[in-house]
Amino acid sequence: MKIPVVEDELAQCVSCGLCLPHCPTFRVTGEERYSPRGRIEAIRQVHRGDEPADASFIDMMDTCVQCRGCETACPSGVPFGRLMEAAREGLAEATRYQPWYRRLGYRALAVHPLVVAGSRLLALAQRSRLVPSARLGLPDRLPLRVAPLRVRAVAADAPEVWFHTGCVMDAWQRDVHDAALAVLGAMGVAARLPQPNRRGLDGGCCGALAGHAGLIDIARAQATATMATFPGSAPILVDSAGCGAQLKDLGHLLGTDEARAFSARVFDIQEWIAAHADRLPGPGPAAAGADRPVVAVQDPCHLRHVQRAHLPVRQVLRPYFTLVELDDEGLCCGAGGAYSVLQPELSRQIRDRKLGALRRAGGSVVASANPGCSMHLAAAGLEVRHPMELLADALGLAAEAGDGDGQRDRDRG
Amino acid sequence: MRGDAGVVCFPLTTEEVQHCVRIAGRHGRAVVPRGAGTGLAGGAVPKDAPVVVVTTKMQQVEVDRDRRLVWVQPGVINLDLTKQLRPDGFHFAPDPSSQQSCSLGGNVANNSGGPHCLAYGVTSAHVVAIEVVLGDGELTMLGGLDPEPAGYDLRGVFVGSEGCVGIATRIAVRLTPNPPAVATLLADFVEPADAAAAVSAIIAAGVVPAAIEMMDQRITQVVEAFVGAGYPTDAGAILLVEVDGLPGGVAAETALVDEVCRAHRARSVRVAADDEERMLLWKGRKTAFGAVARVKPNYYLHDTVVPRTKLLDVLRQVYEIADRHGIIVMNVFHAGDGNLHPLLVFDAREPGVLDRVHDAGEEIVRASLDAGGVLSGEHGIGLEKQPFMGWQFTTVDLDAQARLRDAFDPDGRCNPAKVLPAGSRCGDLQHLDDSRRRQLLDDGAWV
Ligand SMILES: Cc1cc2nc3c(=O)[nH]c(=O)nc-3n(C[C@H](O)[C@H](O)[C@H](O)COP(=O)(O)OP(=O)(O)OC[C@H]3O[C@@H](n4cnc5c(N)ncnc54)[C@H](O)[C@@H]3O)c2cc1C
Ligand code: SF4
Ligand code: SF4
Repeated sequence: MKIPVVEDELAQCVSCGLCLPHCPTFRVTGEERYSPRGRIEAIRQVHRGDEPADASFIDMMDTCVQCRGCETACPSGVPFGRLMEAAREGLAEATRYQPWYRRLGYRALAVHPLVVAGSRLLALAQRSRLVPSARLGLPDRLPLRVAPLRVRAVAADAPEVWFHTGCVMDAWQRDVHDAALAVLGAMGVAARLPQPNRRGLDGGCCGALAGHAGLIDIARAQATATMATFPGSAPILVDSAGCGAQLKDLGHLLGTDEARAFSARVFDIQEWIAAHADRLPGPGPAAAGADRPVVAVQDPCHLRHVQRAHLPVRQVLRPYFTLVELDDEGLCCGAGGAYSVLQPELSRQIRDRKLGALRRAGGSVVASANPGCSMHLAAAGLEVRHPMELLADALGLAAEAGDGDGQRDRDRG
Repeated sequence: MRGDAGVVCFPLTTEEVQHCVRIAGRHGRAVVPRGAGTGLAGGAVPKDAPVVVVTTKMQQVEVDRDRRLVWVQPGVINLDLTKQLRPDGFHFAPDPSSQQSCSLGGNVANNSGGPHCLAYGVTSAHVVAIEVVLGDGELTMLGGLDPEPAGYDLRGVFVGSEGCVGIATRIAVRLTPNPPAVATLLADFVEPADAAAAVSAIIAAGVVPAAIEMMDQRITQVVEAFVGAGYPTDAGAILLVEVDGLPGGVAAETALVDEVCRAHRARSVRVAADDEERMLLWKGRKTAFGAVARVKPNYYLHDTVVPRTKLLDVLRQVYEIADRHGIIVMNVFHAGDGNLHPLLVFDAREPGVLDRVHDAGEEIVRASLDAGGVLSGEHGIGLEKQPFMGWQFTTVDLDAQARLRDAFDPDGRCNPAKVLPAGSRCGDLQHLDDSRRRQLLDDGAWV
């Protein structure tokens, strides 16, 4: 089977093995076939036609969390994420690797009202115990109803930014979005929500989930639609590490100048805030005391290994909290988008390692800047909060939510 | 390097290793131990469908604080062990550049070294006892916890045996106390000759630094692109020197190294300000082999050791040989003990390049041996250096080695295809098998 890779990129791996300990699936299995080096070798063999794209090959590809920890570790600069996406793209084209119902599911993510309605259905099913939430890696109690998202009123000459709302996160964790908007409001920044595109849809999936599954056409269509919802030149802020990584990579996915210019406008929200920290109100006297809350910082892979923008989380939180670091060099937590549902056993073993690292670090609450990771860790009984929620609390903005003086309210559900 | 495994096993315990070996024996198969597969000489590459015994799932660690040692299963990763010992103030001293990935079993089998082995000694200086599964599945203990174990030092035979005399299933290694103070210096030279002279001068001045590493301009540029440690990319060569010990001594030695480097025309000497900067400087050195793919996708690495006084002379020849064959060469090495690592960098897809790489490699080995050096400092012989064995050893030497091996493994079950070339036993004709070497190179990338 031909795999749509750039052959030079595939040739770049010198099999040194320095990535092995940074790969979560190698760490928990100790098996070469579940390591980056093993996977690259398998892709080479299938691409050359020496081996078939059989069940064993699919298993090697499917068990990859696509955390890209191997990329940060690789001194040769092997672009592993691209190789893996190409392998899955090849599989999706040549085999029945992605059945119709999954393709349909990924497509539906672009239609945001459907996502919200679906989430509501799931929430109902959960309450009537129709779905085994823990086994599926779902959050304990999905919200039945989501409050409308509200941008804060600011001065007329305030700088403008776009705020990406996304698909599943907007349905499941709208509180995080709200906290982020509250923080931006306190900074005197005018946040704008995605503008309806030609299909009349505002926001929706950026295409990351479809792209990771190898459904590149769907990913491209969703990315193009998402781009249209953020016209102009204002920066685009993203509070989900996975979506941010995708939007920063549209230049590569779509290969157009327009997409490259778009990607250059994308920032992880912590990254942007850290660069504009002078706009933040200083920490109150409470934050100076020795009894500041102790926060363990968990780095989402797509923030640390893909965007390489994990340090700003610390810059943003440090004035208000005592931060503790994990000793696992950003090893994945096993959430990986749909991975926790598709590979529950491996996902749980990987999470166990992360829980060990969190225990060693101490801290009363975990900060995680990605919805997938935070749900996965919360499902293990931890208190996990988004840095924006922590910051909103520290700035005393939490209570203010929902008091209705917004400049533009919109029920997007 | 390509191999073909018959069966791959992932045992968890010593007993399971014994079962694997016995079953292999019943079916007339050889066994090949494998750790993390970072070996650079192909020692773990399976030939002729053997049973491969992979130790990666053998991860137990038991610290014996009273005796200041730790028992480990062979799959434990070198750096993991050091990290685990850190809260107690100890570490495992041998630190191969691959330490984040390589296993203790592999370290023992290859008698691996690392930058800090200049002062602390290579793996064999740190291994106290080894529990070994022999080729017939029997268990034995080599060495022991007594300060002066009775009899021959059979532990010493096992260390560096590259899987050819048995499989290590438990290893007792010494704990080394972490030094109270450490300083890392980066010296930047226009002329590689000055850098090499500075190395000898530092040691002549009575300092035995924990490490002295040298990198030439090409490798410095490549590595800087990966780590961004602020290495000077216009330097002809850089030295990375580390001194450790008590704070007063470290301060004095730092000043001395600084002075010696400047006396040898170093343009600048930078002392890392904190641990973070130190780590970054070392990360660059330790990922150097991997980083070369930024230039070309394949490399062929030699590991010869030459007397320190001949370092510069051999280095000059290395550049000259590579130039003559039109191959890019990069040099990164343990300068303190004269262990060269010339990396011949190429793209195997270019027609004819393999022959040129092969010829250049051969000439480099010749030049090193002619200067009074040895074939391998720390990476082992494995499959890859096997054809060169006859250059360093006489037939009598090789026969003695073969008989020692036979004493442990009379049926030739343990990694039989490695280290000693076919025909090492007396009576066979010992000659250089040139076509075999070429074929090895044609087999694929050298890693
Ligand atoms: C980037 C890079 C840098 C390196 N830097 C250094 C360096 O600075 N210094 C250095 O010395 N080496 C270095 N090496 C070489 C290599 O990492 C070492 O030789 C290491 O000790 C091999 O360990 P491993 O677990 O990967 O062993 P493997 O490669 O899996 O095996 C190596 C050999 O050990 C045998 N073996 C493995 N486990 C056992 C066991 N339990 N019992 C008996 N035999 C066993 C195998 O059969 C094989 O012959 C480097 C390699 C790379 C890729
Ligand atoms: S992906 Fe990079 S780090 Fe991993 S084996 Fe290949 S070259 Fe080495
Ligand atoms: S992306 Fe993550 S899971 Fe996949 S091979 Fe790389 S390190 Fe392993």
